[in-house]
Amino acid sequence: MSIKVLIVEDDREIRAVLRTALAAEGFDVLTAVSLSEATALLEHDPPDLIVLDLGLPDGDGAQLVRAVRSRSAMPILVASARHQEAERISLLDQGADDYLTKPFGVNELLARIRVALRHRGTTLQPATTRYARGDLLIDVETYRVEREGRPLHLTPTEFKLAARLVRAAGRVVTHRQLLADVWGAEHVLDTHYLRLYMGQLRTKLEAVPSEPSHLLTETGVGYRLVVD
Amino acid sequence: MKWSIDAGRSRAWHGAFAALALLSAATAACAVLDDAISLMSQAMIYLLAVVAASYLLPWLAAVGSAIGAVAALNFFFVPPRYTLAVEHREHLIALAAMLAVALLVSYLSAALKRESAAARESEARAGQLRSLAIDLAAAASEDEAVDIGRRALRHRFAGPVLVVTSVDGAIAPGVDAGEDVMRALRCCIVEASVLGPGTGRWPALDAWYVPLGTGGRVVGAARVEPASASDAIGREHAQAIAALVAQGVWRLRLLEANLAARAEVERQHVQATFLASVSHDLRTPLAAIVAAASSLEAQRGRLGEADQDRMLAGIVAEARYLTEVTENTLQLVRLSAGGGALRSEWQAIDEIVGSIVGRLRSRPCGARIRARLGAALPLVRGDATLLAQLATNLVDNALKYSDGAVDLTVVQRRDRLLLSVKDRGPGLAPGDESRVFEPFYRGRGAADARGAGLGLALCRAIAVAHGGSLGVSRRARGGCRFTLALPVAEQPAVEAPA
Repeated sequence: MSIKVLIVEDDREIRAVLRTALAAEGFDVLTAVSLSEATALLEHDPPDLIVLDLGLPDGDGAQLVRAVRSRSAMPILVASARHQEAERISLLDQGADDYLTKPFGVNELLARIRVALRHRGTTLQPATTRYARGDLLIDVETYRVEREGRPLHLTPTEFKLAARLVRAAGRVVTHRQLLADVWGAEHVLDTHYLRLYMGQLRTKLEAVPSEPSHLLTETGVGYRLVVD
Repeated sequence: MKWSIDAGRSRAWHGAFAALALLSAATAACAVLDDAISLMSQAMIYLLAVVAASYLLPWLAAVGSAIGAVAALNFFFVPPRYTLAVEHREHLIALAAMLAVALLVSYLSAALKRESAAARESEARAGQLRSLAIDLAAAASEDEAVDIGRRALRHRFAGPVLVVTSVDGAIAPGVDAGEDVMRALRCCIVEASVLGPGTGRWPALDAWYVPLGTGGRVVGAARVEPASASDAIGREHAQAIAALVAQGVWRLRLLEANLAARAEVERQHVQATFLASVSHDLRTPLAAIVAAASSLEAQRGRLGEADQDRMLAGIVAEARYLTEVTENTLQLVRLSAGGGALRSEWQAIDEIVGSIVGRLRSRPCGARIRARLGAALPLVRGDATLLAQLATNLVDNALKYSDGAVDLTVVQRRDRLLLSVKDRGPGLAPGDESRVFEPFYRGRGAADARGAGLGLALCRAIAVAHGGSLGVSRRARGGCRFTLALPVAEQPAVEAPA
C-alpha cells in the first residue's frame, strides 16, 4: 500500500505541479483547496502526511495543526512565504513537523517528506537516539560523542541540546522548543542561551565551526541537524 | 491714577519755581545795571527771561512768566517805581507790546515743542514697526510670529494683549478667554474689520479688536487695551502691527504649503522611479523564463538533451533570482513604511554569517568566498532574517561585480561590531560612495549585471533599522569594501542551567 499525502493548497497551478511530482514518486496524492475541505478529508480518508500551505482563504492553519495533533502523530509540513515567518514559527511550536519556504524546489519537498516519514510513528518505535553522519557520531543512549573517531567531552547542557536535536534529526527544532526542553518553560524567550551554547557546541562538533556542516541555523526559526 | 496726578502737580510746581527764578534773576540783573542802562535795555533783559521760560518750561509757566515779567518791569523799573501805575502813555504801549511779544513767543515755542514731540513719537513708532518687520521675517514658525506680534503690542499697550490665529475663520484651539471676548474676536475675524471705541463698530467695547490681515486673508485677530475713541494714532499703530504680523503668518503658511507640495511631488517621483526600477528587475528574468519555457514547449523534439538541461537550469536560476528581487523589494517597502517588522532578539553574528556562507557556497561561484571571523564575538540585538539578508546581498553583490576572492570578515572594535565585505572588482567611480545606496542607482560595471538596483538600498535600510550604519570605501589597489557597523550593547546574563 502506497503512502498517502494530503496537499492543502489554494493555488491551482501549484496544486497540479505538486500532485504530478509526488505521484511520480509513487505517492498516493489527495488535494484540498481549503481548510474546511482538508478537515473533511481527514475525517473520511486520513492521509499519512500533510503538506499545508499558509494563508488559505478560510483561516490560518493553526486550527488544523491542533486538530491533527490532538489525535495523531501524522507529519505536517508547513509551506509558507518568507514574510509569514511568525505564523510559520507558531505552527511549528504547535506541533507541525517542518517547513518549506515558498518558492521551494521539488527536491527540497521530497527530502523533507522523507525525513518526516522516517520520524513517523516515533510513538511506536524507539525515538531516534543515534546520529552518525560523516565524521560525527552522537549516541544519546550511551552518552557517546565522537568526531573523527575521537571521543569528545560535552557539558551536561551541551549534551542535552545535542540530544534534543538528534531526537529530531533532519527536522527543524524551533528556538522555543529547544529552550523549553533544555532549560525549561520559563526560559522560552532567552534566545541568547541558544546563541551561546550553540556556538560552544559547534566548536566541538564541527570541523569548521564558522561554516557548520552538521548543525545548521535555520535563520529566524531554529536549528536543524542535517541528515543525508 | 493718584500717582500720575501727583506727578502732574509736582511738574506744575517745578515750572512755577523755575519761572519765578528766571524772573528774579532778570529783576536782579536790571537792578544791578539800573544806573548804567535805560528802561529799554531792562525791558530786553525781561524779554530774554520770557523767551528762555517759553523754551524751557511748560506752556502755563511760560505764559505766567510773560505776564510776571511785564508786571515786574512795570513795578520795579517803570516810573513811578514800586507801583503798578504807569506815568507815560509811551511806557504803557511798550508794556503792552512786550506782553504781546512774550505771549506770542511762548505760544510759538509751545507749538514747536508739540510738533517735535509728535515727530519723535512717530519716529519711535516707525522704528518699532521696522524692527517688528525684521523680526517677523526671521520667524520660523507661526507661534513664533504670533509671539513677536504680541510682544510688539505689549510694548505700546499697557493693558492685557491677546493675539489669536485662525484658519478659515475658526480660531485655533487653546485660547483662554471669556465668551464675550471670543465672540468679538470671531466677529472681528469674520468681518475683517476693527471693532471698538472710535471705530463706529461695537464702540461700547472696552478694547480694540484688530483683524490680522484684510479681505479673504485674515489669519487671526488681536485684542488690545486700553482703547479710547480719541487715540486714533494708537489704533492706527495697533492696525499697523497687526498688518505686519498677518503678513508674517501668511508668509509662513504659504511656505509650509509650498514645502508640503514639493514633498508630495518628490514622493510621487520616488514612487514612479521605484516602480520603474522594480518592474525592470522583474521583467528581465521573466523574459528569460518565458523564452526558455516556450522554447522547451515548442521545440522539445528538436533540442538536444544538453540544450534542454541548460534551459531548465536557466528557468530555475531565473526564478530563484526573481524570488530574491521580490524579497528585497518587499522588505525595503516594509522597512521604509515604518519598520514595524523588526523582530529584535539576541543574535550571534558568526551564526548568521555561517548560515549565509553555507548557502552561498552551493552556488557556482561560492568557492570564492573567504570568511574570517574574530574570536569571542559579542552577541548583537537584531532581526536574524534581515541581518542575513543584508549579508547575503553584500556578498552576492561582491560576487557579481568581481571575479576574484570575496573576503567577509567580522571583528569587534570597542562598542561596535564591524562586518566587512571586500572585493577586487572594478570598484566605485569617485563620488559613487553615497550614491550606490540610493534605491535605483547602478554603479560602474553594472550595465551587464542585473538587479543591484534595490539590494544596497535595502542593506542600508536594514543597517539603519538596527541602529547601525553601512558605508563603502574604495580600496587602495582596486575594488571596494562595504562595512556594516552594529552597536554592541551590554551582553545578556546566562544563568547556569539546572
